[in-house]
Amino acid sequence: MEEKPLSSSSSSSLVDQIIVPGDVILDLSSMTNQTLKLGPGLRQDGDAISVMKAGRLRFSKPNKYWVESSEKRYVPCVEDTILGIVVDCKPDNFLVDIKGPMLAFLPVLAFEGGTRRNIPKFEIGTLLYLRVVKANSNMNPELSCTDASGKASEFGPLKEGYMFESTTGLSRMLLSSPTCPVLEALGKKLSFEIAVGLNGRVWVNASAPETVILVANAIMNAETLSWAQQRIMVDKLMKRIQ
Amino acid sequence: MTINERKFIEKALLSELRIDGRHPFDYRQLTIKFGSEEGSSEVQLGQTHIMAFVTSQLVQPYRDRPNEGTLSVFTEFSPMADPSFEPGRPGEYAVELGRIVDRGLRESRAVDTESLCVLAGRLVWAIRVDLHILDNGGNLVDAANIAALAALMTFRRPECTPEGDDGQEVTVHPPEVKEPLPLIIHHLPVAVTFAFFGSGDILVIDPTHYEEAVMRGRMTATINSSGDVCAVQKAGGEGVMQSVIMQCMRVASLKAADITSKIKNAVEAYNTERALKKVKQHSSSDAIEVDEPDIKLKENRNPYVFKEIGESLKYHENRLKEELDRKRSENDGVEIRTFSSQQGASISGENVKSRISGPSNWDPYSKGIAPDFLRRLQASPGSLAVDKEQKNGRGLQKLNEFKTEKPAVEQNAFSSASVEASDVRQQISSKKSLMDAVKPKNRRKR
Repeated sequence: MEEKPLSSSSSSSLVDQIIVPGDVILDLSSMTNQTLKLGPGLRQDGDAISVMKAGRLRFSKPNKYWVESSEKRYVPCVEDTILGIVVDCKPDNFLVDIKGPMLAFLPVLAFEGGTRRNIPKFEIGTLLYLRVVKANSNMNPELSCTDASGKASEFGPLKEGYMFESTTGLSRMLLSSPTCPVLEALGKKLSFEIAVGLNGRVWVNASAPETVILVANAIMNAETLSWAQQRIMVDKLMKRIQ
Repeated sequence: MTINERKFIEKALLSELRIDGRHPFDYRQLTIKFGSEEGSSEVQLGQTHIMAFVTSQLVQPYRDRPNEGTLSVFTEFSPMADPSFEPGRPGEYAVELGRIVDRGLRESRAVDTESLCVLAGRLVWAIRVDLHILDNGGNLVDAANIAALAALMTFRRPECTPEGDDGQEVTVHPPEVKEPLPLIIHHLPVAVTFAFFGSGDILVIDPTHYEEAVMRGRMTATINSSGDVCAVQKAGGEGVMQSVIMQCMRVASLKAADITSKIKNAVEAYNTERALKKVKQHSSSDAIEVDEPDIKLKENRNPYVFKEIGESLKYHENRLKEELDRKRSENDGVEIRTFSSQQGASISGENVKSRISGPSNWDPYSKGIAPDFLRRLQASPGSLAVDKEQKNGRGLQKLNEFKTEKPAVEQNAFSSASVEASDVRQQISSKKSLMDAVKPKNRRKR
């Protein structure tokens, strides 16, 4: 890999390509005075940046690299919005399952205007829409029910509806912009609420249960389809229910 | 499982909707695959994935049943299948699953255990079914039951014969020497599971693991395709009305017939493939290959069969020559006649036996047919002997022309044999029509 020294965009030629463990994406010996930020799936190996997991290499200007893959397990990452399930209540923290390697802590004060006096009560099994605030290796991740400025802004428990689990790849597809065709096409015909967590959990709600089932199954089926195929699938579904 | 999911599943079921879009009495997609070894199967029921292996071993029988083999079912819950499955000792559910499958197969006497006896009181075959749960998508019982049935239907045990002076020593023939024998399966008991919701009034078939987490009660009915109830399992949970149970049974018998035909189709496809593989491998080694081209000419399906004909023709030439030599050496006309007719009978017997399921298949009825057939032959010995004689003569004359007019000669040389064969086959089918509809021999009917 020939990198021009001091070039402003010293990006790897493998950006947006499928990479596998062992691939070398960058050679540092040909680069000078550059700071790189490595995300999940990459590591520095002497002068080479090599890959640790299979997926697609992503690059964000000016210097961030990471590997994106579709997994059923979630590795927490700061500022991700996720869906968690309360599994236990402790005096200081709620223990929340986020499909990660370990349970996450949700401090009882991490709510809008949260004080010792108004600690919310959550039943075990409550579904929450959350934000990751701390994600260090070998430590339980920490979550919050507020945005960075301390406002509730949609975070918190999700009532009613149906939650299904899929992969992180599907979640990323649903959150991508422009809006992925399956959501766009469904949204034109049906009215429903949706909350997508980056940990591969999706919550759907609508007034009629059949709408929820239809939307949920359409989204699950869309995972492996191309954009054109997604549109065709939704069209077929719509014809069938009318 | 979140509260939202629980509530939603129950709410949707009130309006007869299920979260995967099925109706309450819809079964999930069933796929049956077979492994490379005999007696292994892989069943996928929606997301549920189960693998079954059947193995056999010679053991001493139980003292109270000295001439019956044994059948046992073991379950293995892989921790990969579900987070709740722990490695080590089987859990409560693993035991229950094994028991349901075991009871369905054993109490209904689906597998003929008496035919597994080798030496009464000394040696019998012990059949072991291992069920491996690879992925838990709900309704493990039905999937495991189907996997066990499919594996049992394709399993073949090595043939063994008593030997020694007193007939107390047993030789087990390796599969290369003698073709392994399939098990005798009288009928297929199919398990159909129902889940009850609410106060036992909402009923669904084939619950997924989400529904299993919410359901109030479960009932498994093991039923065969003719509607006989082989076993029912209703362990705890909400009580249900008698009328609901009767409704379950009616639905279950319909589903059982449906699943039975699916299993049979899969097994038949596997057997055909297996027979074809045999044809490819050894071309002219045993008597069966002689018959294969004959069958294939009638069916005319396989493109490569004609390659085999040439090789099997050589075998024929040899056989005809031998027969003729034998006749010349013997003086007594009657002797010759009976000898040749016996030969004919035994050949045609093999003809029948080997129709689909491969070489020297053990058939409990062939023994009953041979005397019948001989009697018939004795009734008209002259004509048959003449026929034979003509055939032999013609065969020798046409030895040189064999290669040029293969298909025609093939049918010619076989005409008498195949007539005999079809006669015998008719006898078999008339006999069999009274027997259970599930027996594996039925495959030969077509």
